[in-house]
Amino acid sequence: MNAIAMERTPATQAPVTDKPTILFVDDEERILRSLRMMFAQQYNVRITTSGREALDMLRRERIHALISDQRMPIMLGVDLLRQAREVSPNTMRLLLTGYSDMEAVMGSINEGEIFRYISKPWNPADIRTTIGSAVEIAIGLESAVTGAAGADDGAAAERILVIDADPEVAGQIKSLLDEHSPGRHKIEWAPDVESVFRILERTEVALVISDVRLGDADVSELLKLLKRHNPHVVALVLTHYQDSATLVGLINQAQIHRFLLKPIRRNLTLRGIESGLERYRACKAAPQLAQRHKVDASPAPADTPAARRIVDFFKAFGRKAN
Amino acid sequence: MESLLVHVDPLTPAHTVNEASDLFLKEDYQRFLCLPVVDDGRPVGTVSRSDLQKIFMSRYGRELLGDKEVIRVMNPKPLVIDVDMPMDRASQFVADNIRFPITEDFVLVREGIYQGVGYVIDLLRAMERQLDQRNGELASAYHRLQSSQSQLVQSEKMASLGQMVAGVAHEINTPLGYVRNNLGLAREMFDQTLGMVRTYEDFLALLTSGLADEETVQSRLASIMAAKEAFEASYSAEDVGVLFEDTDYGIGQISEIVLNLKNFSRLDQAPVDNVDLNECLDSALLIARNVLKHKAEVIKAYGRLPRVSCAPSQINQVFLNLLTNAAQAIETQGRILVKTYADEHYVHAIVQDTGKGIAAEDLKRIFDPFFTTKGIGEGTGLGLSIAYQILQAHKGHIRVASEVGAGTKFCVSLPHGRTLQ
Repeated sequence: MNAIAMERTPATQAPVTDKPTILFVDDEERILRSLRMMFAQQYNVRITTSGREALDMLRRERIHALISDQRMPIMLGVDLLRQAREVSPNTMRLLLTGYSDMEAVMGSINEGEIFRYISKPWNPADIRTTIGSAVEIAIGLESAVTGAAGADDGAAAERILVIDADPEVAGQIKSLLDEHSPGRHKIEWAPDVESVFRILERTEVALVISDVRLGDADVSELLKLLKRHNPHVVALVLTHYQDSATLVGLINQAQIHRFLLKPIRRNLTLRGIESGLERYRACKAAPQLAQRHKVDASPAPADTPAARRIVDFFKAFGRKAN
Repeated sequence: MESLLVHVDPLTPAHTVNEASDLFLKEDYQRFLCLPVVDDGRPVGTVSRSDLQKIFMSRYGRELLGDKEVIRVMNPKPLVIDVDMPMDRASQFVADNIRFPITEDFVLVREGIYQGVGYVIDLLRAMERQLDQRNGELASAYHRLQSSQSQLVQSEKMASLGQMVAGVAHEINTPLGYVRNNLGLAREMFDQTLGMVRTYEDFLALLTSGLADEETVQSRLASIMAAKEAFEASYSAEDVGVLFEDTDYGIGQISEIVLNLKNFSRLDQAPVDNVDLNECLDSALLIARNVLKHKAEVIKAYGRLPRVSCAPSQINQVFLNLLTNAAQAIETQGRILVKTYADEHYVHAIVQDTGKGIAAEDLKRIFDPFFTTKGIGEGTGLGLSIAYQILQAHKGHIRVASEVGAGTKFCVSLPHGRTLQ
């Protein structure tokens, strides 16, 4: 390394061109202009109204975060995010939209594997924080070891915890997996919150397949806390319950890997479990990768005895895990 | 029929006329019009009070027949009814066979075996009660039907309202998104501008104080220049101009949507008014914009129209319904033609799409309540039937023509009540 080069890259202050790059896609130019003005000082901001052009940009240059609208002519946000995942997997994907139909939110989880769902109109302070943490994670990912990680090394059987009041569900999943890859997985079944605690205390779980409700109890808070205190665990939701607001919460605060609707469909479920386990192994091998699925702290759950018990459990659990 | 059963010891064929008439005179036989004659458990006839009276009123009647057996004077074909026969069939049977004036009651049997008698008057009363009850049931069923129909109409209104609200919310959210963000940016800029102004003021104070030496002034000037450069680097005047223009535009958009919502619902205006249907269509087009904009190019061909006396909120509802249907019929991308013209008696508004069209057998039922080809939860099947009712109430009409694969055309016509050249 020669002296000139040393001078050109002082260690303390990065040159302007080394600012992280973020890309906004929206069919309303005024939104793009406003966001560009907001972020121009911190980042290189790219904007476009076209999904196709966005994909070109993702191919051409390193982009740390992609923030896309859902409803756009020609290419829907979900389609763009799905393709972006293939073109540039280390670009963090966020959806910024005022339209939360069930199909779009489900697609953003299952196909887009998005990091955050931001609703329009957004809160300026919140969007700064969210994009900031997405960019930070993307930078961390650059040094992450990828490749071999994530391969099934054939070691001990991985544990899958099924949280569902209906015993049939665990049975069905067990027979699906027995038929597909016998002996590779151990299924645990938790029909209620108490059993979830017991199982988590006893053993390490790779994957959780959970309904959103257990009888009257809302399990989404449990999932959010589980993910917060144990980010390696991959969560799949399997339910009848369709509510886009709940789902948005499960993206932002639980980073669920898949959202599947009952009744169980064989291939979708198997593929979801397979890719979930791959993600679990990859994160195990390269812990930085788990950052990709870092969750927001959920707003304090309702202060009921049950909620407090869950929080206490995970506090203790987190201490043990670390 | 069991409830009408009255137990009474029957006569046997061997009883005499005198014995029978003695029974009729007894206190507890007062109510009986006739007494049954039973042989070997089975009724063989009845002896009626009026028959005995006829005998005793005729000359030597008692002497001739008094000690004869009742079998000689009885009615051998009495009304015999099985106790298990339903009330309405029994009453039909009685009505068909009874003799007038009513001089006899009926005999009740079970599988042919004598059980007792029943009063005709009781049967009539029971029938009346039953009729009353059925009338009541019918009335309440009718009432339930009426209220469930109005509930359905209400739920159709709520469904289209919900759709409209969701669409409008999205329309407002977009400008609201950047307006709010721009306001935040403007506040930041203002804070920075204020900081610059303070720096200048401090410098001015330093200069006017007469206390500053040249060196201090030089160094302050240098730091002010640096701050000024940093300030100018972060925001250009051009950017700020655009920011305010965009914000104005966004506020304008939101006002337009709100104004249009008001026009569409017309809550603060006369329920019946003389209106220009072109305005109604524009209003509906704006409300439906969210549904239309990614689906269809809207081509407007408005003619000059005389004003029409109508309930504009209802006519708006019809137009919104037609536009939403048109958008839903288009699978990927298409065109919607909105055309108006007037003839001698009517004003016509046409909404025509290049959608998938409607099959001939569905077309016949398209205005029927609850008929829908949409999936569960997508349509109540009431939209067009309500449109039809609205047009009927306005003495206008709504017609449809469609071709599968080519598109559908709806024509709404309203009488304008004036003579056109």
